[in-house]
Amino acid sequence: MNFFLKKLLIVIPTLYIAWTVVFVTLNIIPGDPVNLMLGGRPASDEVRENVRKNLGLDKPVLERYGSFLVNATKGDLGKSYLTRQPVTKMIKENMMPTIELSIGGLIFGVFFGVLFGIFAGTKPNSIRDTISMIIALCGISLPSFWIGMMLIYIFGTTLGWVPIVGDGFVSLILPSISVGLFFAGGMARLTRSSLVDVLNQDYIRTARSKGISKYNIILKHSLRNAMIPPVTLLGIQFGLLITGAVITEEVFARPGLGQLLLQAILAKDIPLVQALVVYMTAVYIFLNLIVDFTYGIIDPRIRLERKN
Amino acid sequence: MKKIVKIFFGISALFFSLSFVSKANALDIVFAEDRPDLRTLDPRITQSRHEEMLIVNMFDQLIAADSQGNHYPGLAKSWNVSSDGLEYTFSLRNDVTFHDGTKFNAAAVKATFDSIVDPETGSQGAVDILGPYKETVVVDDYTAKVVFERRYGSALTAFTETELSIVSPTALSSLGNDGFGMAPVGTGPFMFKNWEANKKVELVRNPDYNWAPEYMDGSGPSQVANLTYRLIKDTSTRVAALEAGEIDIAELVPPLDMNRFDSSGDLATVAGTVSGLPYAAFLNTTVGVFQDINVRKAFFHSLDRVKMTSDLFFGYAEAAFGPISSSTPSYWKGNEDYYGYNPDGAAALLEEAGWKMGSDGIREKNGEKLTVFFPCLLEPDTCVAIQGYANKVGFDVNVEVVMKARQDELIFANGYDMLVIRWVSLDPGVLIIPFHSRNIPEPGKFKFNWARYANPELDQLLEDAESAETQETKDDLYMQIQKHIMDQAIFLAIHDQVQTVAYNPDLEGVRFANGNWQLRMYDVRKK
Repeated sequence: MNFFLKKLLIVIPTLYIAWTVVFVTLNIIPGDPVNLMLGGRPASDEVRENVRKNLGLDKPVLERYGSFLVNATKGDLGKSYLTRQPVTKMIKENMMPTIELSIGGLIFGVFFGVLFGIFAGTKPNSIRDTISMIIALCGISLPSFWIGMMLIYIFGTTLGWVPIVGDGFVSLILPSISVGLFFAGGMARLTRSSLVDVLNQDYIRTARSKGISKYNIILKHSLRNAMIPPVTLLGIQFGLLITGAVITEEVFARPGLGQLLLQAILAKDIPLVQALVVYMTAVYIFLNLIVDFTYGIIDPRIRLERKN
Repeated sequence: MKKIVKIFFGISALFFSLSFVSKANALDIVFAEDRPDLRTLDPRITQSRHEEMLIVNMFDQLIAADSQGNHYPGLAKSWNVSSDGLEYTFSLRNDVTFHDGTKFNAAAVKATFDSIVDPETGSQGAVDILGPYKETVVVDDYTAKVVFERRYGSALTAFTETELSIVSPTALSSLGNDGFGMAPVGTGPFMFKNWEANKKVELVRNPDYNWAPEYMDGSGPSQVANLTYRLIKDTSTRVAALEAGEIDIAELVPPLDMNRFDSSGDLATVAGTVSGLPYAAFLNTTVGVFQDINVRKAFFHSLDRVKMTSDLFFGYAEAAFGPISSSTPSYWKGNEDYYGYNPDGAAALLEEAGWKMGSDGIREKNGEKLTVFFPCLLEPDTCVAIQGYANKVGFDVNVEVVMKARQDELIFANGYDMLVIRWVSLDPGVLIIPFHSRNIPEPGKFKFNWARYANPELDQLLEDAESAETQETKDDLYMQIQKHIMDQAIFLAIHDQVQTVAYNPDLEGVRFANGNWQLRMYDVRKK
């Protein structure tokens, strides 16, 4: 438990530093939020001053920084410059689509990643290994906007099997594949190399000589030991997805945190960017904790080491 | 391994069984923009023509206007203007109710206009359109008198603008300014139902609607039961969704696709020339090579705007020549006689100004190159086309694609030779904003006279035109203003802004709102 307490204590300074960095950066980069908010539209001085006052931008920077920190600790991350809505509400609205897409991508990625990884890793340097790894490399290197557009063209426009921008579960299929392919590629390569390592270990040879079936060796004896590197990767990539897959969101016209962050940055919507960074740091810290915890489940030796 | 293969096929089968495209009978309309971040649907606050796409279908104005800008009775049955031009008395319809059941009357008009000028509201567009507003007097339940501080020549057009839509005073007081923008209540043919952030906005037909302006084909409630605006930022996805039949109408369709639909006949198309400022470049008269009027004129002459526009827009947009687009009231035909494509003339003007051709194809004078710094915020392909043409007569145009924040910085620092702009506006009165000398930007003060041109004569003309008494004087003054701007070669119009729409050919009645940007969906029906 000591281990987790320590981890939790790091959260507070991490968040504080992240918030301060964001506040300072957003205040020194050029561009007046009032102009950005008004777009290219003609507006009188009167309008500009109204907007400035409305946003609280007429107050000095230090005062704004102070009140931001105080309010943030109270859980009040302020109102968006753009919409005048509480930023927590905006994040909540965009969180569900992001979680859906992340889980969809995760399921697709883990399933096909592990599948191809086993397929390749159980017979290294064979033709099936080479082909699987070429496919995995494609998954990693093809840009997701291209994959998205191809999926739309093939399955949406030409074949008409799935809706492109529809609602509900079916509309999740293409975007999940689009983000999942990248995921699957990385998983497949890591599962393969890790599995090749494990399969060369002595205890596997022992298991084989004992006459245990090939599938049992792979699924029960090898895979579990081979999963530590892929799980680490899983944590990092899931973290990337859950903080928003901006390109996939754009191609499939999905709402999500990626789009929200992009809009917020371009419009210099300081409260919204701050809140999103707070959310993203929290997610990363949380996912790291989960990954650490999972190590213990996969490999009981890690639990023992921690206790000592 | 067999098990895994089985699972794989199982999942594939599941996907296939789910692979149907559900298409509701209700009309779906895509709100398809380069800026999908809707912020408010409050007409009093908005400054976005994209938000107005929705607002225009939920609200009515005192005076209705068709796409050509002709005026018709709207929420007001009739109106008259006092002889001093300060008082506009509206006789209002007595059979109109807001979506929330509130009765529309003179008090609602007063509440709307008074709240627009209240700084608390934070109006970004309406407050400027309302001009020198003084007050609204409730004469009786169905007579409202709007009083201005001084004569306001653009007032009648202003009352047709979407920004001056009449809002429900009951909803305003119960929802507050921020809440109203998220759940607006008007008197229009469609009612707000639901807004899914960054995804879609759903409207439903107003069953009580019985006050459509006379220029509309229909009467009574619209035939469209549900109107869904789906936000699809990515152009190719938008077009793909339209072709797959998932959406019925798409806006901002690329000219290349418009061309394809027109030749194949698979989809119907309509394009509208947007009124206001065309896509145009200000030439900075205070720094760099454009301080010399001959160099400015030479730059104008170097461009084949007709060919450039047809190359870029496949005939869906026309080249523009004047400070306002040809669809804007008081447009002056004489603009088109200025600065035709004439590279030889351009070269002669540059020679006369002392710029001699250098060995590298760039002109020089006293060891200085004929260099133009061109930060480009809008339409990079057009900026590059301009660069190509100007290069042929010896200009070295340095195009930098910029974001809004960088452009603002350059405007404050007076650090550019030319900048592009485009605006939607219903009235030539908009010209005072980019051409009056009081609107020259200063450090920290964002304004729109980016040519930084100061001339007391032009200032006077702009002020006089704003308070012109008759249409004839107004037209004459705006003719003089346009001539002045053209003579000085400070504003280089390139092409008219165009709104390109493609839609399901089974539909009819798709029509533009005044200004030719937004669509009024009221009349849309199956053929």
